[in-house]
Amino acid sequence: MGLFNRSTGVQVSVTPEVVRPRNTVRAIVTTDKTIDKVSSVSLEWGYTNFYRYRWAGRADAAAGAMNDSWLMMDQVGTDAGSEKDTDDWVGVTKVDLPIGVNEFTGGSSSFTVPSWAPGSSEALARWSARVTVARGGRDIDVRGDFTVVIGPDDLEVTDAPQQRTAGDGDTVIEIVLPSLVFRAGETISGSVVLTPRKDMSDAELAIYWCWNRSSHPLVRTPAAGGGGKSGQTIKLGKGIPLRDGTPVTLPFEVPLPGDAPPTGEAVHSSLTWHLEASMMYSKWTQGIEKVRRQIVVVNAP
Amino acid sequence: MTAVPPLDPNEPPPPARGLTSDERGRDVSAAQAEAEAETSTGMKMLKSMSPRFVLSQAEGYPVVIKQFLQFCLILIYPAWVFGILVMAAVYYPCYAVLWVLFWPVRAWMKKNRPEEYAASQKK
Repeated sequence: MGLFNRSTGVQVSVTPEVVRPRNTVRAIVTTDKTIDKVSSVSLEWGYTNFYRYRWAGRADAAAGAMNDSWLMMDQVGTDAGSEKDTDDWVGVTKVDLPIGVNEFTGGSSSFTVPSWAPGSSEALARWSARVTVARGGRDIDVRGDFTVVIGPDDLEVTDAPQQRTAGDGDTVIEIVLPSLVFRAGETISGSVVLTPRKDMSDAELAIYWCWNRSSHPLVRTPAAGGGGKSGQTIKLGKGIPLRDGTPVTLPFEVPLPGDAPPTGEAVHSSLTWHLEASMMYSKWTQGIEKVRRQIVVVNAP
Repeated sequence: MTAVPPLDPNEPPPPARGLTSDERGRDVSAAQAEAEAETSTGMKMLKSMSPRFVLSQAEGYPVVIKQFLQFCLILIYPAWVFGILVMAAVYYPCYAVLWVLFWPVRAWMKKNRPEEYAASQKK
């Protein structure tokens, strides 16, 4: 059934299926039957990078100046939907596979995963060996996937100061961590130190993990928000007294999900992890305080 | 914090990454950038009244959608011009009244705080 048969007759298998950076993988290309009318066969190692981009209109166009105002809250014509998810192939190494006289029957190639490889996850990258057969008839494009997992020794981590994302800073919130690198599925045990600068009302404190993906495409217009996810809010205390000169320490345990995407930087997007503490004063005029501390999440077993 | 893996001399360098929207700066059309670069409000209004400015608001949309939007922009063009004229009709009288009202303040600043006055006159 030539016309409607979409199977290519070419398979790519990569062994081992799960690797760490600096390890070597091998792809074996097999064919169901000899492929004819072939002009060239290339195998490219690389990853499919997932990211968000802006597909419609200029982000700061004057015509859209009022879009974000509360007047336009439930109206049509706002900016919602101007950004969408996409993916692009990022090639790292390309090799030409040997062919017979216009015929291809299979081949193999090895590849050492670079030390800077972003870890595989649905949020950032899918590593594969991609075989492209240029031929007289329909071209063939197949891929064999493998997973790159990141270990703590694959990254060189330097600490960054924690950021205050909301509030006046009347209470200094410090997230104290035993280390900066955590494995997916691990429970982060640390503590939050609250140091009020003056007498404040009693507070309620919560903490949660979150990851953010930033969008920085090479060609397309970047999206303002690249997407992300945050974990369940874990309440650490209610009615915490905040008096000047009496710091309060509250221990916490935040479990990371077992399938957490590892921290990484790719060509079109990057993924960063944070622990975010959020505090609410009981007197509503005093508002809220939020700080976030960057962590690194790895997923090698 | 940066999570940078130590580089190996025997491997290909990492491919260059792109820029985020913050790093790229404002995402506007050429006509709008020209209008925004004007320092005087009158010139800004005049430039944003031009058909080129209005049509450029559909920039960045895919083909067909862009032409449809430009068709819609042509339809609303008289309203656009009218809107800017109303803005000017409100802006200049208010500016004139405030300018007269704050004359003594400016005169005092000019006499007693000449550097701050010079800085405030620069735009």
